[in-house]
Parts: sequence; structure tokens; C-alpha cells
Amino acid sequence: MLPQPASLAEPSQYAETVALLRLESVSKHYATDGARVDALRDVTLSFSPGEFVSLAGPSGCGKSTLLNLAGAMDFPSSGTVSIDGVSTTALNDAALTRLRRNKTGFIFQSFQLLQNLSVVENVELPLLLAGAPHPRERALERLEWVELSGLADRFPHQLSGGQMQRAAIARALVNDPRILLADEPTGNLDTATGAVILTLLRRIVDEHGTLLLMATHSTEAAAASDRIVRLRDGRVERIETRAAV
Amino acid sequence: MPAALLFSRLMLRPLRREPARTALTLLAIALGVAVVLAIDLAGDAAAGSFRSSVETLAGDADFEVSAPGGLPSSAAASLATLPYALNLHPRIEDSAEIVQTGHVVPLIGVDMVADASANESGAPQDLGNLSTSPQVWIGRDFPHPASGTLDLRINDRIVTLAIRGRLKGSTGEAAVIDLALADRLLHRDGALDRILIRIPKGESNLDAWEHRLRAALPPGVTLERGGARTRENRKMLQAFRWNLRVLSYIALLVGAFLIYNTISVSVVRRRAEVGILRALGAGRPAIAAAFLAESAAFGLAGSLLGILLGRLLALGAVKLVASTVESLYVSSTPAPIALTLPAALAALVLGTAVSVLSGLAPAIEASTVPPTEAMARGRVDYQSRVHKTRDLVLAALLSLAALIASRIPPVEGKPLFGYLAALLLVAAGSLAIPFLVASLADLTGVPLRRLLGVEAMLAGRGLAASLRRTSVLTAALAVAVAMMAAVGIMVGSFRETVSLWMENQLKADLYLRPAGPESADRHPVMAASVPDRIEQLPEVLAVNRFRAYAISYGGLPATLASTDTALEHRFGRVKFLGAANREAIFHQLPLGNFAVVSEPFANKHHVEAGSTLTLSLGGHSVPLRILGVYYDYASERGYILLDRHVLLRYLPDPAPSNVAVYLKPGVPLDEGRAAVERAIASHSVLVIANRSLRDEAMRIFDRTFAITYALEAVAILVAVMGMAGALLALIIDRRRELGLLRFLGSSAAQIRRLILFEAGLLGLLANAIGLALGVLLSLILIYVINKQSFGWTIQFHWPVAVLLGSLTTVFLAAVLSGLYPARVAMRLNPIEVVHEE
Ligand SMILES: Nc1ncnc2c1ncn2[C@@H]1O[C@H](COP(=O)(O)OP(=O)(O)OP(=O)(O)O)[C@@H](O)[C@H]1O
Ligand SMILES: [Mg+2]
Repeated sequence: MLPQPASLAEPSQYAETVALLRLESVSKHYATDGARVDALRDVTLSFSPGEFVSLAGPSGCGKSTLLNLAGAMDFPSSGTVSIDGVSTTALNDAALTRLRRNKTGFIFQSFQLLQNLSVVENVELPLLLAGAPHPRERALERLEWVELSGLADRFPHQLSGGQMQRAAIARALVNDPRILLADEPTGNLDTATGAVILTLLRRIVDEHGTLLLMATHSTEAAAASDRIVRLRDGRVERIETRAAV
Repeated sequence: MPAALLFSRLMLRPLRREPARTALTLLAIALGVAVVLAIDLAGDAAAGSFRSSVETLAGDADFEVSAPGGLPSSAAASLATLPYALNLHPRIEDSAEIVQTGHVVPLIGVDMVADASANESGAPQDLGNLSTSPQVWIGRDFPHPASGTLDLRINDRIVTLAIRGRLKGSTGEAAVIDLALADRLLHRDGALDRILIRIPKGESNLDAWEHRLRAALPPGVTLERGGARTRENRKMLQAFRWNLRVLSYIALLVGAFLIYNTISVSVVRRRAEVGILRALGAGRPAIAAAFLAESAAFGLAGSLLGILLGRLLALGAVKLVASTVESLYVSSTPAPIALTLPAALAALVLGTAVSVLSGLAPAIEASTVPPTEAMARGRVDYQSRVHKTRDLVLAALLSLAALIASRIPPVEGKPLFGYLAALLLVAAGSLAIPFLVASLADLTGVPLRRLLGVEAMLAGRGLAASLRRTSVLTAALAVAVAMMAAVGIMVGSFRETVSLWMENQLKADLYLRPAGPESADRHPVMAASVPDRIEQLPEVLAVNRFRAYAISYGGLPATLASTDTALEHRFGRVKFLGAANREAIFHQLPLGNFAVVSEPFANKHHVEAGSTLTLSLGGHSVPLRILGVYYDYASERGYILLDRHVLLRYLPDPAPSNVAVYLKPGVPLDEGRAAVERAIASHSVLVIANRSLRDEAMRIFDRTFAITYALEAVAILVAVMGMAGALLALIIDRRRELGLLRFLGSSAAQIRRLILFEAGLLGLLANAIGLALGVLLSLILIYVINKQSFGWTIQFHWPVAVLLGSLTTVFLAAVLSGLYPARVAMRLNPIEVVHEE
């Protein structure tokens, strides 16, 4: 087991400037039917704990690709992605699985809850997969964070879109990840509900010092973040900090 | 052809994209069809061939005259004096063993002089000198070159004959000798087995001729239309072939479940697509037709493959079927397998029809998909359409119907309602499965996780969530398991019953029979001097002489036998049905025209203690009162057993077919055996110790039932292949979920374990349900179907080892069937599958 992250109650630990996630000259290309698609070209970025970063840009610019690399779900064609100073390319499947269990949490546009598990069962699932102790208590606690305590025993199809996304966020948080990766979390929600989710995400980043990387098309969503990384054709076009927004 | 184009684009293209699953489904149908065809072909080859041995040189006689234990010479004489231009062919029919090879062939004595002058049956013109050197003509397929000499074991003697030539026509494997020679070699004293009669050419009123002949014949002989023997044998084999055929349908039935599953999967996958098509203007019938066409395509392609496979399987099946026929019924050499066009077409139609019928329900369901489905958010869970409780009620009703059906007597000797009961029970079991699966998943959720980890819990949930599909899969495997368990319990119980019966029955130390292979319709004899000599030995306490004749009774083959009642009483342990008084029966049996009959005989001919049988014995019509019905598992044909001295009065041939030797107390078996062997050294007689006789009987028993095990194995194979295909489909449909699990931190190994758990749970569930259903089915098999078809009382026994072994095998096979799907699941790219929508 890798060392567990320190208690989320002590965000001060993350104050140091060591990059939690670093992409160095990262390129990613896909070969489909002979044609080569460059999804990312020579991207160098560095992220610290407690940051809320938006990835923006037109469709197909490489946002999802970047998130997958950051979450160690995929590997760069060249360059390195390192989490806590460890390159993901160097890890074997077991180590990658451990890394995912301990350090990352994913949030999807279409929620991706398992239909045949109840809300609380969905939330505790990562803990069960990791064999972590007290899955139920921790899952209920996360549901409290996202204000879904009352719906713990419902099934996904009995929830609204916003509730489903909150459940998905609770699930992403249940293993106390240091990196939260969200791919258009508000994409399937109306503006008002989307705003609620964004507030929730902001709170989590602030309270727990989590790094949140969020791909988004919406300007409202981008406005909630500390930094906006604008991509175009797989390249970093521009980085805007909050002050500039 | 827009319909064909649409069909190919919408239905066939997706199948091509999943070649492994498509191939598995096809193979499952192919195997099902193949087994049915193979058994049919093998049955024809094995059971159809006896015609050639019994009817060698018989031509198409109009009538045949016979009598149990042989026709007295007076019968031939009275026919010969008739003032008609009749063609008479007197025959002696027996069998002989080719000494070098051990091959048993029909030995037929015909009147060479008469037949040669008539020159109708291909007998050669040149008769040589019949009276001096013993000569033999061999049949067209006789397994020996047509020159030189031939050593034949005839009863307990070896005879060397000069081969005169090979006969043409349908003479099969027969060895044909002159009537006079046959009489001498077989010690017949002028008695014949049959006289075949052909009426003058141009005559057609057979009824009138029957009347005329009847009047001329002495009372104690049987007059039948030509071919009666063949008809009898066919009739006797009917029940056997029927049961075998039904058994062969099991694999196809299992295949039907799998087709149902495949088409259901296809419907579920394309619900949205169907919705779009409906929105674009496709009518309901068109949708239903598309899915029916898909099942028909599966059926057609699978059946074509099945026909090829069936022809191959028939090669193996014919050996197994022939050995069963041989040990249970009649000596026969299998004819070559003939795959006829009608047989192939029948298989094609059967396979396609079963496929289309199995696809009917899902196809209809597809046609009810509303166009709005295309716009609906997410997939409507089709599983929720399972009516667990309603199905459970239906299951209860069907069970009740099964119970009623099992009480109905057979139809023309066929246990039709017994099979109906079995089928109803299978249907009831299948309907109860959704409820059982759902309850089990509910019950085991938490314990499963505690015990086996989160993968097991997820597997259980996954199965419960896709309840309908899981139920069909479980049903397919459970039906296969149930059939296997039922037949296993039946055969196991039968085996145990026979084994106990033999232990009770066989009390003598040594048994003697003429050397050469045995069969149910051959009763070679040994010289009467053999037991006489043994009786004189100082080591010997008593000798029982047993004589058997293959006869025909009530249009069916049967065995007429005699035994020494006093010895049977003193040493034997014969058990009678019901509350029969054993002492009284044994006391009365030697006193006159009395008989006891075996249970299969009583059941076949609907007789019981107190009934009277009439047999024509040695020219007399003899009424025999039945004193009791005894348990017997030696012959399916059934025995009529008389006291030895009573039978000798009518058939005065003292030569015994079998001899039982009781040694004096204290005489070691080896010593007694050596003494016996010395005493009979000049005879070709086998001396068999009690133990080896029982062992041999059990070996024959196992050989007899080998075919049933082979059929079970194929059904299980079909089910397991279907499971692999279905699991594959389940994984493909759940790939998003499996990919998501990887995002949530599951390792590839955990995904594999999840799939293997699903396979294992299915296997376990199918085993449990299958075993329960199998026990019920075995009760129907033992007490209804077996009893009605064969007439044996089988005591119920648990063949624990067999059951444990086969259930474990099925479970392991189920888990193994998950290996490939699990590999597929592990290799799914989580990014692609999660972002698919
Ligand atoms: N598995 C793949 N195979 C081939 N090409 C791919 C694959 N995944 C992504 N691409 C290509 O890589 C490029 C970047 O894709 P990506 O999904 O990262 O875009 P995105 O920014 O997330 O777009 P959107 O905003 O529409 O979600 C696109 O051109 C896409 O076609
Ligand atoms: Mg994207």
C-alpha cells in the first residue's frame, strides 16, 4: 500500500509547492485506420493541491484525453505524466490500480452510476474494491458532504440528474483522493443544477485541499475555477488565472 | 430485395461482429441436431439389421409355422401331404461362433436339395456330396474368405466344415448348412424351428389360405404371416428406440433455451434500434419477422452443420447402440450407417423449427417495442418485465399437471404421459427459476460479500439485475443437469437393484455355459452328459440344470425356461411380487401345468398370479396357470419359468443351457472348480465362479447404459457452450459497467474474478435447481417411464459418487466456460467503453 493521504482535516500539509500532478512534454496520438490523430501535442503543465483547474476548448481539442492521462487510465505517447513525482509510465498494472484507488477520483458527464446498486452501495464501491475498512460509514459520511443522506438507499433511476451527479461526486470522494478528475460534470444538467454542483466542487477543493481538474464547455463552470487551461488542437493555447477571468 | 438487404444489415452484420458468440450458438444447435440425427441413424443401423440375420434366405414367405421349443416333425409331414402346390422351406435356426475370431453368426439349416432345385435364394447348383463331408455355404457378408475350412463352435462342440462357396443376395453373415447336417450337429431329433410357406403363384386370398393351413396343422403350432419374426423384433425394440430417441432430444431442448437466450439478447441490444425503425415506419410484423428470420438463420446454419456432425457422431453411436441392443434384446450386427435424404431433411426441419419456436417469444416482444423507445433516456430495463410471482404460480400449476400425467397408463406400450409429465416438470422448473434466482441474490448479498469479497457481491447483483437472461441460462444448464441427474439416479438405482438382486439370486459356487458370447436371444446348450458327470463328483453337493428357449409369445419375443424347482427352493432366493406364498408356489410348481413369470413378462403381457397362459409345446396346446410373478433383471424379454420335469414332458431335450454347481461345504472353490473342469474337459464349456459372473453381468450392464451417459455428456456440453456464449453477451452488454469499475479502482484481476464468480454462481444455481428437478424427474423415470416401457421395478438408490462427480464436473465446466469471457472482460479498454454513450 502506498501511504494514505493525511486526514483531509489538515489542508495545511498541501501548502508546499511540490507539484502533485505534472505533465512534461506530453504528446498523445491515436492511430485509427492508418490516419494519425494527435490528441495532445507537447503539453507541459503542473498542478498543486487545492487548485481548481478548468480545461476548456472546442470539442476534440484533447480535454478528455488529458484527464485520462492525469488519472493514469492511459499513457502518453511521449513525455511523462507524474503523480507525486512518480511517472505513471513506470508503473505496472497493480501499482496503477493502487494509485487509482488511493489518489484519484473520477466524475463523468453522464454520472455513470451502477444501476443495480443503491446510492450508498455505489458510493462505497471503490472502498470495497480496495478492501478498505469501514466502507459503509465512510460512504454515508460522503453522502452527508453532498447532502444526499436521505437518499442513500434509493436506486440511481429514482434520482434526478443533479442528485445522481452528487452521488457520483460522493463516490469520487470516498477514497479521499488528492486528485479529482471531472469530465464535463455539468454537461447533462440545467444551469441552476450545474451551479449547485460547481459550488459543491469548489467547497470540496477549499475544505480538503484536493486538486480538481475539470473539463468543461461552459463559461459558468470555467468561471468557478482558479485557473483555466485553454486547449486547441491538442496544444495549450493559453492559461488564464483567476485574476484575469 | 430491400427486406433481404435490411436483414443482412441489421441482423446479420451484428452477428459477424461477435464471431465467438455466434459460433458458440451455432455449434450448440448443431450439436443438438447432430445427436438426434446420430441416434436415429445408429438406431436404424443397429436395430434394423437383425432382419438380415433372422430372415436369411427366407425370401418373402407368405406364412411361417413355428412352435416354442421346436416344431415336431409331424407338422412338416402334415403340410407335405396337402394337395396344394405349396413351396415349403423347413429350417433350423441357431447360431455359431467362428472359433478364430469369436464372431457369432446365424447358423441356418435349409433343405439344400429342395431349395437348390427351386433355385430361388441363390443357393448354388453344385451340391457336392451332401451325405459325407460336412459343408457350409457362407453369406454375402460372412467375415471369412470363401475357401478352405471353417471352425465353428456349435453349442459346446467345435466342428470343422468345408466352405463350398459364398451365397448371393441378402444372405448377410449367415452360415448355411444342409438341414440334415444341422439336425445332427444341433441334436434336434427331427424338430424344426420354422417352416416357411409360399402359396402357389397367382393366389392372393391369404385369409383363405391361412384357414386351410390352420386346419391341416396339428393344434400345438403357431401359424403366422411371413415376416412375423422381424415384426416381433421391431416391436420389441420399439420401446427401447423410443426411449433412446427421447433421450437424444435433451441436447436439442437445451439448445432451444440457448436460441431463446441468443434472440433475447439480440432484441435487448437492439431495442433502441427497433424503436428507431418503428419511428421510421417499420410495422410490427416486419420487426417480428426480422427476429424470427434471425432465429431461422441460426437454425438453418446450425442444422446443416449438425447434419455433417451427426453423420460423424453416428459412427460412435452405432457401436454403443448395437452393444445395448445385443445385450438386452437380440443378436445383431450393425448395418452400415445410411444417411438418407429424408433423414437429413427431417433433421434440417427439426433444427430450424426448434430454433424458430425458441425465438418466437423474444421476436414478439421486439415487435411491441414502442417507437418512443428510440427517444427514451437510457435503456429501459427489460429485465423488469419478468413476472417472477406469476411464473411461480404457473410453475405450481404445471407441477400439478405433471403429477396427474404421471398417473395415466401407457398408450400402446409407450409411456407418452410419462414423458409429458417429465416435460411439464421441466417447464415448471424453468418457470420457477426467476423467482429462485431473485430470492437467492437477495438472500446472499451480504453473506456473499463477507465470504467471498466484493466481486462475489457484484456478481450476484449483476445476475439478479439481468434476471431474465440469467434465468434462461440457469434454466438451460439446470435442465441439462436435471436430465443428467435423473438418468444418473435411474441408472444408478437400476444398477444397485440389479447388483443386490444378483447377490440374492446367485447362490451357486460355479456356473457353466457353452463357450462363446452371450446374447438375449441365443441359448446354446451343452450336452446332457455334462451335468450328469459333474453330479457324480465327490466335491459336488448339487447341480441345477437350467434350460432356456427363445420363443415368441403374444407377438413379442420371450424366453421359456425350466429349472429344478426343488433346488431352486433349497438354494435360491427368488422373490415374488406382492404377498405371494413362496412355499406354496414351490410346492405346486413341479406338480403340473404351472408356471411363474418374471416381472417384465407380466407387465408386457398384462398377466398376474392366477392368469393362464397357453403355449404350444411339442405339438400340444398347453395351458399354464401362473402361480406368481418374480423379480428378475436378467432379461427384458421376460421369462416363463416351468419346472424342469414338467417342461421335459413336452420338450424332451435334456440338454441344459446353463448349469449351476453347488459345492459341498468345506470344498475350496479352486479345488471344486478344477474337478469340474477335469470332468468336462472334452466340452467347449465355460466354468465361471460366482464372483466373476456377477462382475461380468455388471460389466454388461455398464456397457448397456454407456449410450445414455454419452447422450448426457453431449447435453451438458451444449449447455456449457451456450453458457460461454451467453456470458460473453452479458459482458459485452455490461462493458460500460466493467470499464467504470476500472475507473473506480478495480484491478484487472478483480474484473476476471467477477466474471468467474458469475459463471460459478450460475453453475452452482443450475446444479442446485438441476439436482432438485433431477430427483423429481428420476422418480418419473423410475416409477413411470421405465415401468411402462420395460416393466422393471427399480428400487430407488442415491448414486452418491456418480452424482457428486458429475455435479462437480458441471460446476467446473461452468466456471471454465467463464474463462474466455473473463479474458474478454479484462481486455476491455475502460476509456473507450465508458465514453461510448
Ligand atoms: N480512442 C481514440 N481513438 C482515436 N482517436 C481518438 C480516441 N480518443 C480520442 N480521439 C481523438 O482525439 C482527439 C481528442 O479527443 P478528446 O476526447 O480528448 O476531445 P475532447 O476535448 O474531450 O472533446 P469533447 O469536448 O467533445 O469531449 C479527438 O480528435 C478525438 O477524435
Ligand atoms: Mg471529452
